[in-house]
Amino acid sequence: MSTGQQSTPATPEIGLVGRSRLLPPLRAHGDRTWRRWRVPFTQRGALDYITAFNPISLVAERRIVDKRLLWWLAALLVLVIVPPLFGNDSFIGAGTTFAMFSAINIVWMLTIGTAGIFSLATLAVVGVGAYGTAYLSVYWGFPWWAMWIAGPFFGAGFGVLIALPAIRLEGFYYALLTVGVAELCRVWVVQSRTLGAANNGLYGADGFVPADMSTTGGITLGYFLALAMMVAALALYTYVNGQRLGRLLRAAPEKHEAFAEALGINYRAARIQVFLISSAALGFVGAFYATLLHGASPSLFTMDQLLLLLAMIVIGGIGTTEGAVAGTLIVVLLDKVFIGLGPLRLVLIGAIMLGTVLFLRGGIFGVAAQFKNWTAKRRSERRAVSRGKGGIVMPEEATEIHDKQNIAIGLFQLRLRGELKALVNDALIEEHRTTPRSRRSDNLERVLNYFRMAPMAEKYGVLMVKPFAEYRIVAISGRRGVPPRAVDDQMFTTPEDADHGVFLKRVQDLMES
Amino acid sequence: MAKIRISAYTDKLSVKPGETLSVMASADAVSTVRAELVRLIHGDETPGGPGFVEQKIASDIEREWKVGKQYIQKGNFIRVADPSMKLTAAGPFTLHAFIWPSMPDSGRQTIMGHWSVDATQGFALGINPSGRLEFWAGDGKTTDAVAAEVPLVARIWYFVAASFDPASGKVTLYQEPVLTRYNSLLSKIVPYEYRSHVVESIRVRPSPADKASFLIGGSSESNPRGSFVSQCFSGKIDRCGVQSTALDRAALDALRQAGAMPAANVLAYWDTTAGYTDRGIGDTVVDTGPNRLHGEGINRPVRGQTGYNWNGRSDSFRMAYGEYGGIEFHNDALTDCHWTPTLTLTLPADLRSGVYAVKLMAGEAEEYTPFFVRPITPRAPICLLIPTASYLAYANIATAIDGQISQGVTAQVGTFSDADIEVYKNNVEFGPSTYDLHNDGAGACYTSYRRPIINMRPKYRSGGVGGCWQFPADLSIVAWLEHHNYAYDVLTDEDVHREGAAALAPYKVVLNGTHNEYYSEKMMDATEDYLETGGRVCYLGANGYYWVVGFRDDEPWIMEVRKLEAGSRAWQAKAGEHYLASTGERSGLWRHRNRAPQKLTGVGFTAEGMDYAVPYVRMPDSYHRSVAWMFDGLGDGVIGDFGLVLGGAAGSEIDRYDLSLGTPPHTRLVATSEGFSDNYPLVQEEVYFMTPGLGGTQHPLVRADMTYFTTHNNGAVFSTGSIAFGSALPCKNFDNSVSKLLKNVVDAFSKPGKLPGAEFDQPENRWQA
Repeated sequence: MSTGQQSTPATPEIGLVGRSRLLPPLRAHGDRTWRRWRVPFTQRGALDYITAFNPISLVAERRIVDKRLLWWLAALLVLVIVPPLFGNDSFIGAGTTFAMFSAINIVWMLTIGTAGIFSLATLAVVGVGAYGTAYLSVYWGFPWWAMWIAGPFFGAGFGVLIALPAIRLEGFYYALLTVGVAELCRVWVVQSRTLGAANNGLYGADGFVPADMSTTGGITLGYFLALAMMVAALALYTYVNGQRLGRLLRAAPEKHEAFAEALGINYRAARIQVFLISSAALGFVGAFYATLLHGASPSLFTMDQLLLLLAMIVIGGIGTTEGAVAGTLIVVLLDKVFIGLGPLRLVLIGAIMLGTVLFLRGGIFGVAAQFKNWTAKRRSERRAVSRGKGGIVMPEEATEIHDKQNIAIGLFQLRLRGELKALVNDALIEEHRTTPRSRRSDNLERVLNYFRMAPMAEKYGVLMVKPFAEYRIVAISGRRGVPPRAVDDQMFTTPEDADHGVFLKRVQDLMES
Repeated sequence: MAKIRISAYTDKLSVKPGETLSVMASADAVSTVRAELVRLIHGDETPGGPGFVEQKIASDIEREWKVGKQYIQKGNFIRVADPSMKLTAAGPFTLHAFIWPSMPDSGRQTIMGHWSVDATQGFALGINPSGRLEFWAGDGKTTDAVAAEVPLVARIWYFVAASFDPASGKVTLYQEPVLTRYNSLLSKIVPYEYRSHVVESIRVRPSPADKASFLIGGSSESNPRGSFVSQCFSGKIDRCGVQSTALDRAALDALRQAGAMPAANVLAYWDTTAGYTDRGIGDTVVDTGPNRLHGEGINRPVRGQTGYNWNGRSDSFRMAYGEYGGIEFHNDALTDCHWTPTLTLTLPADLRSGVYAVKLMAGEAEEYTPFFVRPITPRAPICLLIPTASYLAYANIATAIDGQISQGVTAQVGTFSDADIEVYKNNVEFGPSTYDLHNDGAGACYTSYRRPIINMRPKYRSGGVGGCWQFPADLSIVAWLEHHNYAYDVLTDEDVHREGAAALAPYKVVLNGTHNEYYSEKMMDATEDYLETGGRVCYLGANGYYWVVGFRDDEPWIMEVRKLEAGSRAWQAKAGEHYLASTGERSGLWRHRNRAPQKLTGVGFTAEGMDYAVPYVRMPDSYHRSVAWMFDGLGDGVIGDFGLVLGGAAGSEIDRYDLSLGTPPHTRLVATSEGFSDNYPLVQEEVYFMTPGLGGTQHPLVRADMTYFTTHNNGAVFSTGSIAFGSALPCKNFDNSVSKLLKNVVDAFSKPGKLPGAEFDQPENRWQA
């Protein structure tokens, strides 16, 4: 029963908190021996588990830290089953385009994401692979499998050419340079007779579809091979990104090269390496393209294709493979499947891209993190308001406070501060000033006791710069290894003055609380 | 240019003329320091006193000395000398231990292993940064690790093990709680899942680095500063060992249940309870296995702590060695800096006894390393007994900056000097005092003078109490003796502990320092025997003869104390850990071993506060002819309404007469203090039920009593019951009531034969109305 003498501050509307779960948790192995399997040649399992104590139940719950592998497997299952079963030839064809562009984007992510190099010559490398292998097939009679072998060499060779300037040029200029290189390639293939200027492309290369296969069969085969290529690109990305090379590159992003170099990272070598690897992979995609379409087309080098490619990764979000694939899916769906919409579909793609850039940080796969940040911000704002109103810890906030006693102490301090504020007046302050080293009134001692028992973090102390000449007020850190900080530049000449200076600060803090 | 800073210590505190003394110094931002030998007269620079007074003594150290930066190995661990690399053979092995981690979530820690942090070579069983048990291994290129599934819970006993088979690379990680009703923080009712059993194959085959050692509680690390041990463990480790087979889970279950050395395949088995004696435990951790690979504890790991199998019935390791196998490790422990000597000083043969220091100077910076010169042959009638044991207890105390209670105890705002802040900034650079807590929250029970002690410096002002405390305050007594040209010698607690009453016997009177709080049994006995045989003591302080401390005979620079359930204590020893590992004695207060300070001095601790001190008023007893001589020339007014510490002679910490605690029945209460504020509450050991009104304005037991009584053979004890007393002596150029009073006493005490007034022992005449 309240005596009526102490008033607990008005309680804001309090609702119930606490959530139950839908699925039972994975429990720790406990008594059972956990025979932990590793992916061969690595130090880790396929899925990363973490087992921690649930603070509410103390149950040791196991959860998968990174569920992306499961999502990928599900997505791949859909990709394997849905288009061939439910789609017509053109839909499967669009699927092939999607898979091929996904592969390109995933590999591109190694340079633009991991290495942070804004190369826009990605399609040009694919084009070089396609034209080069088509040339070998048309003029030298290479079969499709030999074209696949040759593709990476064209890619890697071209990669060396564009890698060199990447060492010296900064982002924007390098991007311009690569656009220029792509344009140069386009002009060349459009004008070169040998490369099929007359036919608007170099055609007549060997294809991987057996001659006796049906049209649908051929398209389906192309689709599955493209899908396999996408998976291979994923594997390559995971390998490079997750190993030493990827870590070196991520430690040396643009504008931080000097810092990385100081740490002993040879970022130039790492960048050239990743350029060669990704260019070789893109060269293979080019070869695949040539064997799929029996040749190569100058559209590979055009600006509009490049922009579409850019749209894909911007929408998906730079830096993640799932972003690259999802962005590709959206753009290819609009571009190839909703072809009936006409030029409007390009406007749509542009609108989505614009929306992504304007409202999202990190593409559509950044949405979750962005939402989390937003809710955290809202939550802390709400808590600040409720605390400002009377120091009440909301039930939802209490779930995050491990030592519940701190909540009770907070409540106590709030009451105590209320009582002490009523005691502080000019006379009390004057008493403190005039009574160092002597008996003080009970009221003053009550106020002083509260000050003296404050926790260490930000507790006031006095720095003796020169004994009996120079004293300053400091605030203690409460953390070993962190020295007290000077509170202001006020200087006192006697310990008594400094003591009163601290008192005034504490009174001010009390009255403002 | 960086700020010049010099830190130094001496290898000894007590020396005789002609002996040598080494000074170990470390300096920042300077390569040479100038040295001087000085005699210290007065320290306290408070206005109204003599200020700082030193006398230069001509010596051959007076020149520039080369000095460099010297580093410190902190943290407890056990080094196992294994020259024939028996523990790092290429075959299969198992590491096993009982552990009680105190800070499992504080970064990587090694339980045991042969791991080189910098070379990433070797193997270890430890705790990873996520607080999980982990076995890791490395060959210098690649490292690999297997971690347990659930984190370790702090202050719970576990049996942990890792076995490794190099043929398959298979690691078996084993983690089982061995929690009982008594041994851990939590009861068994808490539904934690403590267990974890993981089997996993690693890719790396460990190749131990030659220069690393097998360590329990740490890992080797070489860096440009030198070879150190890092990743120190915090918590307790009980019986542990290494097997030469990769034990499977069933075999490890058996090992856990047996809790004893396995029958076969033992490479090492450290029976942490082996070698215990009734009189204490050393630093050697005995390997009872066939290879006898004993370990040596560094920075004094705390031995004889409750083990995994403590049943709560035995109170001391002396009652059940087998239940007290716990060795406690702290990652910030420090008992010896092991610096190389910067200079060695041979004391002039004609040096008179006193307080001296080697003064090191460079630029604006200076450092004093005080030491105490006792005479080759005692000749003076007066002995000043320097309370070095209590200096040790307070060595580098950081509570003002690090303890929430400090400002409440002292009723002052903490005042810090640059030295305090430098040390705090460098992570409590020179180790904790017995008032500080280790990083894991455990109280520090060991302290040492083989490290720079920033508050044992002549000008040092204590951050908490806002003035001079202990050593610099004791110099006020030195200055008083010098001022009155007394012939006196200086002795230290260390001498009394080593030589007993024989060290005191040559003297007519022994003056204590202002605060002789920490006493070993030998020191207590020496004082008692000295008084019994006619010795005279002036107890010029308060809260003396209070804590039971222990020293090992061969390492007098390290002192041990356990703070028990009573007394003004900065921490409290854990249940069952109340006995000194150094001597086997029960620690805590002497009062609780039936040797309250009142029995020796007439007074004992009653209150403390640091807001202000007060004067004494004469009590009726002081007008008795048997004691009135003390007050000759003083009149009837108050005594000591001045002082360099807190402005009065009675205050800071204060003692009280109490017959129920053993004050000799014939003790005269010659003076008592005026009233104190409520910032002097009655001490906790006097309080059986908590009530309001325990402060100085309301409780009659809060007072400083000045007493006098005689002992056998013309012996006597004069007690002041106040720490502030000594700092009142130098006021008004030593011409003051406190100075006069003490002079009357010391003049009388330093003369042989009957004491003045001894003849006035008859009852008053009844017919005198």
